[in-house]
Amino acid sequence: MTTPLTMAASRRPDGTQVLTVTGEIDMSNAGTFDAALTRAADDGRLVVDLAAVDYLDSAGLTVLFDHAPHIELVANPLIAPVLSISGLVDVTTVHGLDSGPDGDGRP
Amino acid sequence: MSGLERSGAADLRFPGTSEMARRMRAYPWSSISMGEPDTWPTSLRTACRICLTSRFPMIVWWGEELRFLYNDAYLPLLGSKHPALAKTGEEVWEEIWHTIGPMLRSVMASGEATWSEDLLLPMNRHGYWEETYWTYSYSPLHDDDGTVRGVFTAVSDTTERVIGERRLAVLQDLGAQAGHARSVTEACRLVARVLERAGLDVPFAAIYLRRPGSDEPVLTATGPEGAEPHPLADGPGDWPLREVLDTGRPVTMTDVAERFGALPAGGWQTPPTQAMVLPLAGETGGRNIGVIVLAAGAGRALDEAYESFLGLVARQTAALVNAAVAYQLQQRRAEELAELDRAKTAFFSNVSHEFRTPLTLIMGPVQELRGALAGADARVREDLEVVHRNGLRLGKLVNTLLDFSRIEAGRTQARYEPVDLSAVTAELASVFRSAIDKAGLAFDVDCPPLPEPVHIDRGMWEKVVLNLLSNALKFTFDGSIRVALRGDGEHAVLTVADTGVGISEEELPRLFERFHRVESARSRSNEGSGIGLALVRELVGLHGGAITAESTEGEGTTFTVRLPFGAAHLPPGDIVPAGAAEAVSATADPFVEEALRWLPDDAPARDTGSAGEPGETGEITGAAGQTPEGLPAPEDGEAGRARVLIADDNADMREYLTRLLRPAYRVTVVTDGQDALEAVRADPPDLVVSDVMMPRLDGLQLVAALRADPRTAGVPVLLLSARAGQEASIEGLEAGADDYLVKPFSAAELLARVRANVEPARLRGHHARWRNALIDSLQEAFFVCDEDGAVIEINSAFTDILGYDADGLPYRPIHPWWPEEIDDPEGHRLVGDVFSRLLDVGKGRGVIPLAHRDGHRVWVAVTFNDVLDPDTGRRRVVGTLRDVTAEHYAVQRESALAALSVRLSQAGSMTDALSGAMEELREVWHARQVLAALWDGDDRPALTSTAAGADWRTLPPELRASLGALREQPPLRPSASEAGGAGVTLEHPAGLLAVWIDLDQKRPFSAEDQTLLALLAGHLGQGLHRAHQLDRQRETAVALQRAILGPSRLPDGFAVRYEPAGRPLEVGGDWYDIVPLPDERIGIVVGDCVGRGLEAAAVMGQLRSACRALLLQEAGPSQVLTALDRFAAQVPGARYTTVFCGVLDTATGDLAYSSAGHPPGILVLPDGATRLLRDGRSTPLAARPGRARPEAACTMPARSTLLLYTDGLVERRSRPLTDGIDQAGATVQDGRSTPIEDLATEVMARMKPDSGYSDDVALLLYRQPAPLEVAFPAESGQLAPVRTALRDWLNRCELSSSMIQNVLVAAGEACANAIEHGHRNSPGDMIRLRAVATGRDLHLTVVDSGRWKTPRPEANPHRGRGVALMRALMHHVTIEPGAAGTTVDMHTRITR
Repeated sequence: MTTPLTMAASRRPDGTQVLTVTGEIDMSNAGTFDAALTRAADDGRLVVDLAAVDYLDSAGLTVLFDHAPHIELVANPLIAPVLSISGLVDVTTVHGLDSGPDGDGRP
Repeated sequence: MSGLERSGAADLRFPGTSEMARRMRAYPWSSISMGEPDTWPTSLRTACRICLTSRFPMIVWWGEELRFLYNDAYLPLLGSKHPALAKTGEEVWEEIWHTIGPMLRSVMASGEATWSEDLLLPMNRHGYWEETYWTYSYSPLHDDDGTVRGVFTAVSDTTERVIGERRLAVLQDLGAQAGHARSVTEACRLVARVLERAGLDVPFAAIYLRRPGSDEPVLTATGPEGAEPHPLADGPGDWPLREVLDTGRPVTMTDVAERFGALPAGGWQTPPTQAMVLPLAGETGGRNIGVIVLAAGAGRALDEAYESFLGLVARQTAALVNAAVAYQLQQRRAEELAELDRAKTAFFSNVSHEFRTPLTLIMGPVQELRGALAGADARVREDLEVVHRNGLRLGKLVNTLLDFSRIEAGRTQARYEPVDLSAVTAELASVFRSAIDKAGLAFDVDCPPLPEPVHIDRGMWEKVVLNLLSNALKFTFDGSIRVALRGDGEHAVLTVADTGVGISEEELPRLFERFHRVESARSRSNEGSGIGLALVRELVGLHGGAITAESTEGEGTTFTVRLPFGAAHLPPGDIVPAGAAEAVSATADPFVEEALRWLPDDAPARDTGSAGEPGETGEITGAAGQTPEGLPAPEDGEAGRARVLIADDNADMREYLTRLLRPAYRVTVVTDGQDALEAVRADPPDLVVSDVMMPRLDGLQLVAALRADPRTAGVPVLLLSARAGQEASIEGLEAGADDYLVKPFSAAELLARVRANVEPARLRGHHARWRNALIDSLQEAFFVCDEDGAVIEINSAFTDILGYDADGLPYRPIHPWWPEEIDDPEGHRLVGDVFSRLLDVGKGRGVIPLAHRDGHRVWVAVTFNDVLDPDTGRRRVVGTLRDVTAEHYAVQRESALAALSVRLSQAGSMTDALSGAMEELREVWHARQVLAALWDGDDRPALTSTAAGADWRTLPPELRASLGALREQPPLRPSASEAGGAGVTLEHPAGLLAVWIDLDQKRPFSAEDQTLLALLAGHLGQGLHRAHQLDRQRETAVALQRAILGPSRLPDGFAVRYEPAGRPLEVGGDWYDIVPLPDERIGIVVGDCVGRGLEAAAVMGQLRSACRALLLQEAGPSQVLTALDRFAAQVPGARYTTVFCGVLDTATGDLAYSSAGHPPGILVLPDGATRLLRDGRSTPLAARPGRARPEAACTMPARSTLLLYTDGLVERRSRPLTDGIDQAGATVQDGRSTPIEDLATEVMARMKPDSGYSDDVALLLYRQPAPLEVAFPAESGQLAPVRTALRDWLNRCELSSSMIQNVLVAAGEACANAIEHGHRNSPGDMIRLRAVATGRDLHLTVVDSGRWKTPRPEANPHRGRGVALMRALMHHVTIEPGAAGTTVDMHTRITR
């Protein structure tokens, strides 16, 4: 059994590839996530929209780090601390970081 | 009405999918008297709905025929009678209708509820026939107009309580056997008999004990008796006795039937199949003493509770057997002591016998000599008389002592013969007549014949009468002595009455005590051992009679002896037929002899040499005060002449004086005063004739020196001086000279003066010798002190007692027999006190310790009085000492033993007993400290001391060595060391106990001290064993209480404490209970029964069961308490119990509660705010039954803490209850972030008064929400559901969303690690996640059974990232790899 996760690939009017992810990402479905990124990134620059992701752990982060050079991220306040702490924000562009009140990731 | 509608209505009436709901819906109601359900009264419809939806067995009986409606839960109870729906009650329960019919009818008639309790119903619920007990309650059902139309019966399962009570009774029965068994076998039989009576719980029992000197367990008793089991030939074998004996671990057997066939069934249909083989632990905690086999009754599964009950039976059995072992040991010791006593008595009487032989050999020849030397020199005859008299006296004493030892040893060979008591008594009395006549007293013997003969032993009766007469004569100086004999009903009564000095009221009770001498009575003689009257009482007692004394001081004393007529009271074997009348035996002689000597005697006559046998011839009458006629004849031979010492430096003068005096006196000559002084000191003459003017020491100085020395103060001095005139003679006389003669003097004048001075001196000398002889013959030590306290005279008994003889006189203070201040400051002080009284007051008495010359300690009773020395006019103190060492130590022993007994009886535990006893030992010997080392197997013993902070490791090496050396000693054999101390070992229940008394240096530890120490140690040993028994009983009782008390496994989030105050069995009436209910709800109860101890515990047990049952029936708190009111009114002792009852929804924190007079619960919020649950409060149980109880509600916010308790926690003397409640609230407030279990410990500790809790305390703590505990297989697919559960729980904790996210990620990483690394090699192993919230903290623990890799981020960047995340998101993370798995602990502070 894997954690439910849906991914939808689309293209913006400007032609940018977008992968919209919904659900939770953990070690049970990180492989699927990785495959989807790999597939979608074939065409070059990719925006990974994580706005609807409730949970992201180090397995998901590892996938994101692997693809960091050619992706941009859309985050949400819930997962923003993880992205900051892991340092992902330093190696790739992340949107939607400042919208949450708990930006520093420390409890 | 369509079918669908009807079925909808029927669904409402008979809701649910149960079988009975189905049957009720389908039942053709209109066919019976009850009619269609539509027409039923509301109460019946409601009753049916309740019945069908309840999980508890319920019955509705309806209508005149009591139609029978029931639910599914009732099916097992109904058994094969099902289906019986709507049948008449009588039809269904025909066989018991005679019982329940009338009950039901009475409910119908009166409208009052009733019930039947604890009905036994065998049921096959779990695959075997099991005994079950049920309580049926019958309540009236009214129809809509209020008429009773039916009965509602709820049935509750009381199996657990009934069986619990039954087992408790078995354990109590076993406990009641304590102290009955006199042997190990008997103890086993007692246990077996108890268990035989407890057949339902223990159908078969067998006790096997290890025989001394063998390891093989031997069958000692079985219950039932004679039910020795034999292993079947083709079965799996015997009990695993050796295994259990050796390992000490109980074994549960499930193949009992296969092994032994049918064992006794104990009242069950089937024989037991299961049994436990349990070890019987030994007293010293070492070897097991045996094994007990306890079979389980077929009516119960051998579950955990059953096993723990059997375990308690085994422990009780072991305690009883061990007590019997201890008893036997003690018995053996007692027999040894008795044997010692017999040996002592035998020795004593042997010695007395040994005295008699030489005495006879002395008395015989003396008797002959008296005859042969009748005409000899007066001095010789006088000496002979002294020998004769004292021989008689010694003989009498030895005989009396022999009589005593015979009486004590039961070896009196009495010959009771019927005699004419009047004649015998009158004859005995006549023996004394001459002596009494001689004393000038009237003697009245009034012995008329008695109606019947009296059985007496003649010899004994003689002693009785003679002792009484001799006593009367001794203390009567004028008046009369009267002997009378009368018959008085069943008794012959002898009275001996005198008109003597009488006995004071204080002394009267001790008159018949052995060796007790009446003090200060004026008497004819001070002789006497104080055993005459004691013997009389013993002898009268042997005759089955009694003796009493009445006395008035100054008026006289009457002794009354009552002897029964007949012979029924005497041992038949000692009765002989009447013999020939015998003359009074020789027994009488010493009595009369002795008495005659007390009388005004013929001493002066004897001095003249003219007296014959004193007192026998009666020649000398009224001789008292007679003065000798004429002067002693100087020519009575050289030896008889007076001695005169002449001191003069002039030889001519010396010669002249010698020439004048020699014919009449023995003359010694010296040349100066110094020589004269030495000569007088060496051998005092009868007179000193001295010149005044002399070299070295002149005459006046000589007189002064002589007068200064008490030994020479009485020597008369005649001074000769050339100096004439008044002044000179005054000077001489002032100096102490007796006479003064001025030179020149005539020969006649000199002789006259010499004679005048010698004669009184001779008399004085004679008296002095006589006095010395008297003093020396005193049994008590005698001494004389001068006014400075110097001892100037002693007698030989003094030397005997203290070892100092007259050669060393004078003994100046501080006397050499004082105890050294360094060794014995207390003794030194005692002696000092008495001595200063002697100097200041001159009168007194006391008991003091003195040092014998050879060093040993002597206790003496000292009595002293001051007198004026008539010779010198100086103040003297005379005193006596009596050696009371033996008595003193006996008293000391008695009082030390008594004090120790008190200490031991006050001790509640072994520790108390030991420390109390050690304190006592310290006081007895004024020791620096007393140490006790207990070797219970270890090389390093457990050390206790009367001094604080004793520790074996820091103990001075010499003390360690002393204690260590004791281990080699056999128990109860004290040993003393030169270094200042003594010790003894004894058997402690846990091992060998060495006790060391650390004394001051040089303080002697005498043989008496050793005896005392052995006695006390023996006593202590027994006390420790008793306390040990008590400890065990207490443990048993506490185990019992635990069994009765709340669930052994608490739901998470709760912590409970129970501390009973009652001694010695620590059980009580407080309780708590936690009852899990459906839908995450939990019933919580804390209650407090009136009273303490076992009785309150029994009441508590019933209330707790009832309360639990009510909660399980889904009643709300106020309903539970209302029902309990009714229940409590029926249970003796349950009235006025206070209870807090609540139902908590753990999902929401909603708490409904009601309080029956119980102290308010305390709720502490995470921010520290404290609330008291004061609402929903009413009176204690059954105080006002029948009134509805209020109910209150509150919500426990997340991370709040609830404290419930009984008043023992907060109630203190002279302090308002609210103070205690505030203090408890503050404690919980401080500890709101402490884990709940630790908090419980902290509350108990902080609230505990210095002297410990004086009342029972029950305490219950809960923190909302309960900790989360999740276990899941190590698969990544589990992560999401675990996360969901954790998220829900975190929401319950009311944390912020960002914090929830952080915790989720950190926990997720820990779980992922556990899945990936911890269980790489064994996928599917379980991982456990636990989360606990306190007021301000959150703790998470993830445990797996694998071993993590050391994180190496470069090799596996993504795993390293996980740990880093955990550390970043939580405040504190520890990862502890262990052999059995890895534990991750994470902690974070909760922020708002």
